[in-house]
Amino acid sequence: MSDSSLTFTRQSDWRVWFAIPVLAVAGLFALLGEWIAPYSVTGYDYTAILSSPTAAHWFGTDELGRDILSRLIIASRTSVAVALGATLFAAITGSLIGLLVSYIGGRLEAAVSSAADIFIALPDIFFAILVMSLVAPNPTILTITIGIIYMPQFTKIVSAMVQSARHADYVTAARSMGASGTRIIFSDILPNILPIIVVKFTLTISSALLLEASLSFLGLGAPPPNTSWGQMVGSLKPYIYNNPWPIVFPSLMIFFVIMAVNVLGDWFQDYVNPEVRR
Amino acid sequence: MNYYLRRLAVAIATVLISSSLVFFAIRILPGDPVMMLLGESAATPEVIARMAERLGMDAPLHVQYFRWLTDLLQLDFGTSIGTGLPVANELIKRLPRSLELMAGGILVSLSIGIPLGVVAARRPDSFIGNAASVLALIGLSAPTFVKGLILIIIFSITLGLLPSSGFTPFTQDPVANLRNLILPSLTLGLGFAGVVQRITRASLAETLGKDYVRTVRAKGVSENASVYRHALPNAMIPVIAVVGIRIGSMLGGMVVIENLFNWPGLSSYLIEACYARDYPAIQACLVVIFFVFSLVSLSMDVLMGIINPRRRDV
Repeated sequence: MSDSSLTFTRQSDWRVWFAIPVLAVAGLFALLGEWIAPYSVTGYDYTAILSSPTAAHWFGTDELGRDILSRLIIASRTSVAVALGATLFAAITGSLIGLLVSYIGGRLEAAVSSAADIFIALPDIFFAILVMSLVAPNPTILTITIGIIYMPQFTKIVSAMVQSARHADYVTAARSMGASGTRIIFSDILPNILPIIVVKFTLTISSALLLEASLSFLGLGAPPPNTSWGQMVGSLKPYIYNNPWPIVFPSLMIFFVIMAVNVLGDWFQDYVNPEVRR
Repeated sequence: MNYYLRRLAVAIATVLISSSLVFFAIRILPGDPVMMLLGESAATPEVIARMAERLGMDAPLHVQYFRWLTDLLQLDFGTSIGTGLPVANELIKRLPRSLELMAGGILVSLSIGIPLGVVAARRPDSFIGNAASVLALIGLSAPTFVKGLILIIIFSITLGLLPSSGFTPFTQDPVANLRNLILPSLTLGLGFAGVVQRITRASLAETLGKDYVRTVRAKGVSENASVYRHALPNAMIPVIAVVGIRIGSMLGGMVVIENLFNWPGLSSYLIEACYARDYPAIQACLVVIFFVFSLVSLSMDVLMGIINPRRRDV
């Protein structure tokens, strides 16, 4: 027993020590953006077009001679804000709907839960593509669209958990003490299911990051002058045969940030739910 | 109700609900397709009326909906705004290409994921077992286009071994067709290889601990035979289930892959139609994609019911 808990500590350290620095860098980039970027977004350098990493341009330059590192830093804001905003939107509205329908219960709960099942099974990108082709996209619309796409997942998880909590001893106890339905949901059930919602929240951030990156890569994200990591990759793609270097860095950025979020979610899952871990 | 009938009902409901969502989203969301197509400047009332008629958007909503449904049942997917040709022609041409890519991706994920999973299950603490698990994690976390770009940079740009884009029909030149297929299928399959590896490892490790495997070993059957002939077939059931569940995200991944490798399948058609705001084509592509999704999920469910009869009772 002591052996397995030792391995767990080591493992969790590895995951936390990988995830925190990566996310801290992404967060700092997103917050400080133009103050720490070495060049301005419009800093065209016509003497260095699609250059490989040099002393002047650490990550190289793009097809207009703009510094990749600076654009990467400035693009962080859109990528991070859209993913975080969408996940917050999905978590809050989805959980509230989940709580509401399980409070009402009966046919409505069953119907909402089956509808959520069908929606969750469908690939997420297609509805986003549809919406982006119908409206003139901007970061707010993108955030809300992605948020709505992940909303049913929270509805489903919350209503399933409330259902199983309904017969738990602590709920029976609260009810026997005369607590009202709303009180039971908000001050007894919600705090108990919150850790699971937090795990879901973390994993949804990674899905949202990926979805935003994919849409922007396809040219269906927020249009210029907004930049995001995925948009950088998409716009550098045609020049990959001229020089593959510039595209490597935004790609790696997306990869590391998504991996860090996943690994952190994984760690948090073990943390709140120790009996599941191997 | 019978298991198969229930699965069929879910599949039909999925197609109907998802395609209706597409139908209503196009007509109800704030963006007006007619205005999006025409732009603000050219919009005299007659022009708007003519375009609305061309899009079939001049009738009341419920009339449009039933007209659209009955057309759909007769495989009439409407006329493309861009080319003026029936969308169905394009769909028939492109659907097999997407299915080919999908088959390639599934083949790659199984042929990489299963052996790596077996290795990790048989030697959990060995170097190779751990390496297999780390590779799986990377395959899972890397976004599709990152994997695809890495493969392009290695195999097309640096080594010059494989083409990074394009498509040759199989009937015209089978070798060229398969060479074009390799990189996109690898990109699609690598992520799922990670999933397949994880499930294979967990499921085989569990099966190897079962009583019947112990009995097989006690009877003196060789280690390899007890793993491959007795344990592995049973351990494959969850793997098939997961492939079925993951079909949706595979279709989603194909959007990026077809774009990245210029593979002229259904998803590239969808994206081209989005750029051109060709609404009949967008609508038709999505309906066909959701139909393929439901059909594949349904076949996986049927397959699971046949291999694992216990599932039918649930």
